[in-house]
Amino acid sequence: MKHSVNRPPTPDAAEDQGKEPTLQEIINVKLIESGEKERLMELLRERLIDCGWKDEMKALCRAHVKKKGRNNVTVDDLVHLITPKGRASVPDSVKAELLQRIRTFLMSAAL
Amino acid sequence: MSGPNEDKNTQLSSHFFGDLLDSIIVDVASECHRIAKLGLDRNLEEEEEEMRLSVQARARVADPSNSSETNTKYVVDIFGQTHPSIATEIFECMNCGRSIAAGRFAPHLEKCMGKGRKARLK
Repeated sequence: MKHSVNRPPTPDAAEDQGKEPTLQEIINVKLIESGEKERLMELLRERLIDCGWKDEMKALCRAHVKKKGRNNVTVDDLVHLITPKGRASVPDSVKAELLQRIRTFLMSAAL
Repeated sequence: MSGPNEDKNTQLSSHFFGDLLDSIIVDVASECHRIAKLGLDRNLEEEEEEMRLSVQARARVADPSNSSETNTKYVVDIFGQTHPSIATEIFECMNCGRSIAAGRFAPHLEKCMGKGRKARLK
């Protein structure tokens, strides 16, 4: 870590670092600007609904809320609750489809 | 087609996939949180209500001041109905054909069927 994490961000921070944007960041910008990120998100959302993944996650949340009481639950709690299961239970076919589309985009945006 | 570029691509693709997935996870969590807070989950509402009522009922049962129930005439059942201590529904005795009150049926049947000498003929 080049800089102390406790150092408050100053206006000059970026210039001081002198870092080029990473490839990741460049691609991210391209994804967003082209609208592809939005499309990919909607595609993934749709697939996850169709395969019942969303229902599973909602059931987990509901069970947690029932246990803890609905006024004692934060969004953060729920995110931490469903993230591990959520990441692990995406069907392979859905993952493959999305990865393929992303890869296609990366190649077409060849830098 | 293998090589450093391919691996890089794979790595990047996975990264962006993870990115998308995380965003969707946050959306789902946020949606569930909203439903919970606004009390929009009907089933949850009903379950909470039942929990509350069963806790109340349990408290009432455990309450020692309720043990005098057998002495009072006005006992209330779970549907909120009261019943007279002797069942008043009337029906026909299948042995002698008389009209008997349900609450008096057992003693009647004893006399009607049980003791040979006094048994009534059909």
